[in-house]
Amino acid sequence: MAAAWFRKPSILPGFGLTLGFTTFFLSAVVLLPLAALVLRTSTLTWSRFLAIVLDPRAVASYRLSFGAAMLAALINAVFGFIVAWSLVRYDFPGRRLVDALIDLPFALPTAVSGIALATVFAPTGWLGLKLAVAGVQVAYTWLGVVVALILIGLPFVVRSVQPALIEVQRDLEEAAETLGAGPFHVFRRIILPGVFPALLTGFTLALARGIGEYGSVVFISGNLPLKTEITPLLIVIKLEQFDYDGAATLGFIMLVMSFLMLFAINLVQAWGRRGQVAAGR
Amino acid sequence: MSIALDQVTKRYQAVPVVNDVSLKVEPGEFLVLLGPSGSGKSTLLRAIAGLTEIDHGRVALHGHDVTHVPARAREVGFVFQHYALFRHMTIGDNIEFALRVRRVKAAERRARRKELLRLVALEGLDDRLPAQLSGGQQQRIAVARALAHRPQVLLMDEPFGALDAKIREELRRTIRAIQRDLGMTTILVTHDQEEAFALADRIGVMHQGRLLECGRPDDLYTRPHTRFVSTFLGAANLLLGYRTPGGVRFTSRVASGEAVPREVVAVLRPEEVELSAAEDRVRSNFVGYGVVEEILFAGAVERLRVRMAGDGPVPVAPGREGTPDAGSLLEVSRTLPEQREFPVAARQRVAVGARRVHVLPTPISSFTAVADTAEAAQALHDSPLLSTLGTRMQTRVTTRLGRGERPPPGMPAVATGRGSAAAAEWQLQHGAAQLLCVPPTAPLPGHVLIHTLDRAARRATVAVAASLLRHVAAEAVYLGIHPTASAERERDEYMRDLLDARSAALTEHGLDMRTELRFGDFAEELGRELAVHGNSMLILGSSDPASIDWAWLGALLEGEPERPVLIVNAAPVDDGPER
Repeated sequence: MAAAWFRKPSILPGFGLTLGFTTFFLSAVVLLPLAALVLRTSTLTWSRFLAIVLDPRAVASYRLSFGAAMLAALINAVFGFIVAWSLVRYDFPGRRLVDALIDLPFALPTAVSGIALATVFAPTGWLGLKLAVAGVQVAYTWLGVVVALILIGLPFVVRSVQPALIEVQRDLEEAAETLGAGPFHVFRRIILPGVFPALLTGFTLALARGIGEYGSVVFISGNLPLKTEITPLLIVIKLEQFDYDGAATLGFIMLVMSFLMLFAINLVQAWGRRGQVAAGR
Repeated sequence: MSIALDQVTKRYQAVPVVNDVSLKVEPGEFLVLLGPSGSGKSTLLRAIAGLTEIDHGRVALHGHDVTHVPARAREVGFVFQHYALFRHMTIGDNIEFALRVRRVKAAERRARRKELLRLVALEGLDDRLPAQLSGGQQQRIAVARALAHRPQVLLMDEPFGALDAKIREELRRTIRAIQRDLGMTTILVTHDQEEAFALADRIGVMHQGRLLECGRPDDLYTRPHTRFVSTFLGAANLLLGYRTPGGVRFTSRVASGEAVPREVVAVLRPEEVELSAAEDRVRSNFVGYGVVEEILFAGAVERLRVRMAGDGPVPVAPGREGTPDAGSLLEVSRTLPEQREFPVAARQRVAVGARRVHVLPTPISSFTAVADTAEAAQALHDSPLLSTLGTRMQTRVTTRLGRGERPPPGMPAVATGRGSAAAAEWQLQHGAAQLLCVPPTAPLPGHVLIHTLDRAARRATVAVAASLLRHVAAEAVYLGIHPTASAERERDEYMRDLLDARSAALTEHGLDMRTELRFGDFAEELGRELAVHGNSMLILGSSDPASIDWAWLGALLEGEPERPVLIVNAAPVDDGPER
């Protein structure tokens, strides 16, 4: 019985089966390939490893990949919230249609969205033409990368925030109103705290998706080394040149950095939930 | 005046949920708004707080019109049924919320928080989160929070609804004590009459969007004005009585030669019923003999149902079981001393007496559908308007074949259309006090037009209109029509007349109606006004039916479109004092 401390009798049967399946699934689909990646990287010498990691072209690609993903996720957090707000709080003609459109970027092959964006934002495209007049170029610059990632990440934020917004009780807002709070106060002190965990989740999902996004970005970014080249693309390029060491190493770096970022956000989330967990929620 | 509402109306999709409510609340007064769910009481409370916009009327707090002032600037405290505490804030932060919003200094906030927690007897819970408190404690905190900014009015929406009985009673006492201590003007909404009696200085009873009656709890209980209030506040036997010079009688048998007595609605409270072995042993007014059908012991009191003999009193509302011949079922409750004095068993024959009978001032007692054939009478009986009125007013609707010797007691009803004018004329000329002309398929009216052909008919007409409108969620307009060629001085008088009618309707019957003054030919003006609304109804008063222009009225009754017309015959009848 020494190892049975975690097998407390439970009302729900099948604990052993489900845990076994979870472990197997995680191992086969997630851990094993990642382990192979780590193993492959560990065969390198330190100097070779550092050379690949600190290569100026690689460093520039990290900056673009993580920076653009972060920026796009932030923008999505704001505008995704507004979209979710108007879908939940207002009833307007075509609301259901808009609601359905939100999910489209999920379903569309990313290459299709990338090509569509490139067409629209290219200096000869509808929007690109107008923006060119204003002196702004989106396609084939880092801005294009951000635009692509906004498109890809929006549904994550909207779909995370929507249920949380529905949950915010109207009588809480009314209570705050009768206590003298204006619209800003009600939003800042009542609504936002209620949906913040969900907003953070949406932000995290959009960020994670943005870091790994490849298909839609490559068509609009222009892929200029040191300028508009994202890390996933660099990995593909290295693979095409049969530089498996380089590809594995960059993959490893992305893995570590993504993990650290997501872990940090999870910590923030756990900290934010602390009060509610203590309160038995 | 702390709170003053004037003709407040709120509609949802054109249906009024709060219908022309006017109300004044004195400083320091505890008013309880009582009504069944869906009666509009919560909507009215929210309108006072500014959480719901109203469509018509005015709301004033402390003499300031706040109709268009947002909730946050009204300085009221509001307590919600489900507490509505901010879950992510501590108890302390919850209570301080109103003060933080007002940028009150920290030290002052802390002092106020302490004071409030002491007030609701929950000191030391400052750092807990709402979810860590019991329901009763959470509601206490909600009350403390609502009082933090020292509002002058406290509004509570079913604050005890989500609590169990024991905590409810305890909290009730706390609230009452706090309210007295602070002299806080308070309105509480509830559907629980026990709660209303326990808390209220004054109770306002709401039903279908209207404030039916408002008064001291004991007044409302002993002298209700309406059927609804008499049965909603406590239990009541509503019986059809007949006003005679010797008092109210419960049988309609009339000795030959005697005039038909006026039918009234009488309230007989279960505790006012006396049971005895024989007629000569009854100390109060003898009503009749009955058989005890059911006995229920309920602690302090004994509840019985006594089936009265077939010729005994007639209930206003037809019972669900049994035919009229089976006799009415009387609710009786007796205290322990009464039980000891005269113990009864089921199936026992008893003599029944009434210690105290209250006659409702309502002018409408029962309806009788009068027609020449059984099918026509039944169709009229089942017509949407008449059957709905019968159900809503919980009143008896019977049928009569042929007009008979004289009009039936209560209100006769005839179908509009061909021949209706003659039928209507006959009923009125043979002494019917009211007459309802019903199109057999017309729905309930959404708009009621009230007009009297002469000034003497006003009082009776307004009374009938008020009685009807309590049960029909329609908008009421009292129309005064005068010849175009009236002098300036006369016009002032007409205006005063109109205002008198309105204030009489309001003070005597709680009916808030709009008034409009027109100049021109009355038939033309009435016709125009009736045509404006699709489903309108006309209530027409006259103190001399002989003087009615039957060519015009006949055309109205027999022409298209058919619409309900209620004619009030205010000819003086001598039937003793009105109340």
